[in-house]
Amino acid sequence: MDAELLAASARGDASQLFGQFAALLVFLSVGSLWGAGMYAGTVRTPAEALAGAWSQEHSMLTMTMLVVGIFAVFSWDSTFPDRRDVLVLAPLPVRGRTLFTAKIAAVATALGLTVLVLNGLSAFAWALALAPDGVGILGNLRFIAAFWVALPSAGIFLYCAILGVQGVVAQLSRRWYLRASSFLQIGAFGLILGVFLLEPSFTTAKALGAAENQRVLAWLPSYWFLGLVNALSGAYPDSAMTSLARRAVAGLAIAIFFAGGAYLLSYFRTLRKIVEEPDILPGAHGGMWLPRFGSSPKTALAQFAIRTLGRSRQHRMNLAFYVGVGFALVTLIITPVEDAKRLAGIDVLRQAMNVPMLLASLMVLCLCVLGTRVSFSRPLDLRANWLFRMMPMRGGEVCLSATRRALLALSVFPVCVGCAVLFLRYWPWVAVAKHLLLFGLFGGLLVELLLIGFRKIPYTCSYLPGKSKIHVMVLASVALLPLALINCVEFERWVTADWLLYGAAAAMLAGAGFAVRRYTSRDLELSGEIQFEEFAADELIGLGLE
Amino acid sequence: MTLELRDVSKRFTGIVAVDHVSFQARAGEVTGYLGPNGSGKSTTMKMITGLIEPSDGEILFDGQPIRNDLLGFKRRMGYVPEEPHLYSHLSGLEYLIMVGQLRDLPTRPTAERIDGLLRLLSLHGDRHVPMSSYSKGMRQKVLLSAALLHNPDLVLLDEPFSGLDVSTSLVLRSLIQELAARGKVVLFSSHELETVERVCSHVVILHRGKVVADDSIERLRTLMALPTLEEIFSQLAVEQDTVAVSREIADLIRA
Repeated sequence: MDAELLAASARGDASQLFGQFAALLVFLSVGSLWGAGMYAGTVRTPAEALAGAWSQEHSMLTMTMLVVGIFAVFSWDSTFPDRRDVLVLAPLPVRGRTLFTAKIAAVATALGLTVLVLNGLSAFAWALALAPDGVGILGNLRFIAAFWVALPSAGIFLYCAILGVQGVVAQLSRRWYLRASSFLQIGAFGLILGVFLLEPSFTTAKALGAAENQRVLAWLPSYWFLGLVNALSGAYPDSAMTSLARRAVAGLAIAIFFAGGAYLLSYFRTLRKIVEEPDILPGAHGGMWLPRFGSSPKTALAQFAIRTLGRSRQHRMNLAFYVGVGFALVTLIITPVEDAKRLAGIDVLRQAMNVPMLLASLMVLCLCVLGTRVSFSRPLDLRANWLFRMMPMRGGEVCLSATRRALLALSVFPVCVGCAVLFLRYWPWVAVAKHLLLFGLFGGLLVELLLIGFRKIPYTCSYLPGKSKIHVMVLASVALLPLALINCVEFERWVTADWLLYGAAAAMLAGAGFAVRRYTSRDLELSGEIQFEEFAADELIGLGLE
Repeated sequence: MTLELRDVSKRFTGIVAVDHVSFQARAGEVTGYLGPNGSGKSTTMKMITGLIEPSDGEILFDGQPIRNDLLGFKRRMGYVPEEPHLYSHLSGLEYLIMVGQLRDLPTRPTAERIDGLLRLLSLHGDRHVPMSSYSKGMRQKVLLSAALLHNPDLVLLDEPFSGLDVSTSLVLRSLIQELAARGKVVLFSSHELETVERVCSHVVILHRGKVVADDSIERLRTLMALPTLEEIFSQLAVEQDTVAVSREIADLIRA
């Protein structure tokens, strides 16, 4: 997922994390397998069969492109040698070519395994379920082959496109490459997620052939590869599909050529630049100003957390993942509302306390707080922790308080300010103020809940990714978060209609926050010290007797 | 003021790293702590700083066991570790300000002190630069500044000359003596025997986790009838015939 996250120094449990990712992908694949069984068991008209086939083929392609895209974004840089590679390997008689080839081989293996695990079962099952009746064994085999050409091709296309962009940016000076990379990485992630969630559906012959859709289709690679599946399988011949298939082949060739060219250029230029050019040049101006967060030790810890998140690409990406999901979901919520406005002239957004805006703001708040809290758990440099260990600091309470303030400053405060600015454009100020008060209290409660049992200085404790149980978390979030937030929104709309109820709700949220805070502080008093290791050292000592 | 180790041992899963070490480092003198690689020097330093706990024995400062008031002890101690591991996304200035804040030092005087230290150690021009682009010597200077920022009574220096340029090394050499002259306890670990000989009045030599010498350099010279610290050290702590080993290496790579 991320080389530094899994580095030995961070004591990342790579095998466990990869195992969980694989479990998540296999789960999706098995779920899809079940869907294929259900699909095969139903009777449908030829038109329904066509729409069903194209819709399923398209969804498998988009899922593959999403997974490969996320893989490409998270493994940004890993195809290019880094300073450590060069400094360790350059004095040895290892050719640059060997280094590059090894990098490509490693990435290709990981990418291939990802696509295989995701589609290993479902691609066979769906190919058999979608193949038209009476095509025989050869027809079925052709359908399976079409899937297994188109799915990896879609993945290769996306990976090469991203690699090509990196290769072009790598031609800049090393310093600018590193700076641009952080923005490009987040931008690419947002683009991939946005396209996945907002892509329009054109899975009928009429929609694919419509003149007004051709401009959009020309910019949606997943449909090109849908054309490729159909052209190769020959199951549902269609002229629009043939044209899309041509575009897929051309797109794939261009992406490979583009990535290969950019990569070759880097082959000649990057190695030298890595050694000759510094990653960071001296800054002419003062450092970043930050406010105080209480006593000096609290200020030190909170500012450390803010600076780390601001400057560490790895941690920014962790946060960007959550924020990206949040904004994508917001777009998903708001888009139908905007469509309704366009079609029927009803401006829902201007109605105070409307559901879409309340839901969108809560969604962003939750994911920002959660993303920031998750990023706090990832260490930056464990070897530098000695500093905190030997400071004359009465650990737990100072640390918890500083972490709370940093979390509020990095997540709740900016989201509240952003919402205030945006909502004031649409709603009267009283409605905005009423929402923001409950919103802020909810944010505070969320922060308190996420700090239960947290006895760490942000970015300093060792982290075992396997412990996060990402497969369970992802599935739980997708299933439970929207449901919980819709109930919260309904509750807010209900209480804001009456001042008495509103006051009671605000008091309830504040009281809950206060109670959790007291619980956390008492828990800290009982268990005390700051935690720097995910697992304590073994109490048992081996005697080493033979 | 005295730093005293009484029968201190440290065992790591069956391996004895430090074995019943006892010595005293007194205020006003520089105590050299010497030993070959793996002899337990850095482990002892980490036990004194409280980074790791001794398996046995007691460490006392000013007559009091440090574990009775570890926070109070940490307030009076400055430490330069062997490896310059720093949070390299921070600039030198930000790092030192953070150390001052973590120690709860008053803001304005600390800022002036940091500014002065950065100027005197020729880091002022690079104070806003992230430490990821600092050389090893620059990092060492930041560590030294952080260790002295709160005017500690006890200064622990683990290989402080590592990576420093000649002029800063000369400054540090004098600084160590000056700190001792101003009544601080200075414990100084190094492999540079020539420097130790010039700077220290008292040395403790460690070999395989045990103290094999604990005396003034002058007395050691007299007792062992050897003219230099290097020869004393070789006799006490070096087991190999260095000339023979070097010949063997040269022969080995030629074969």
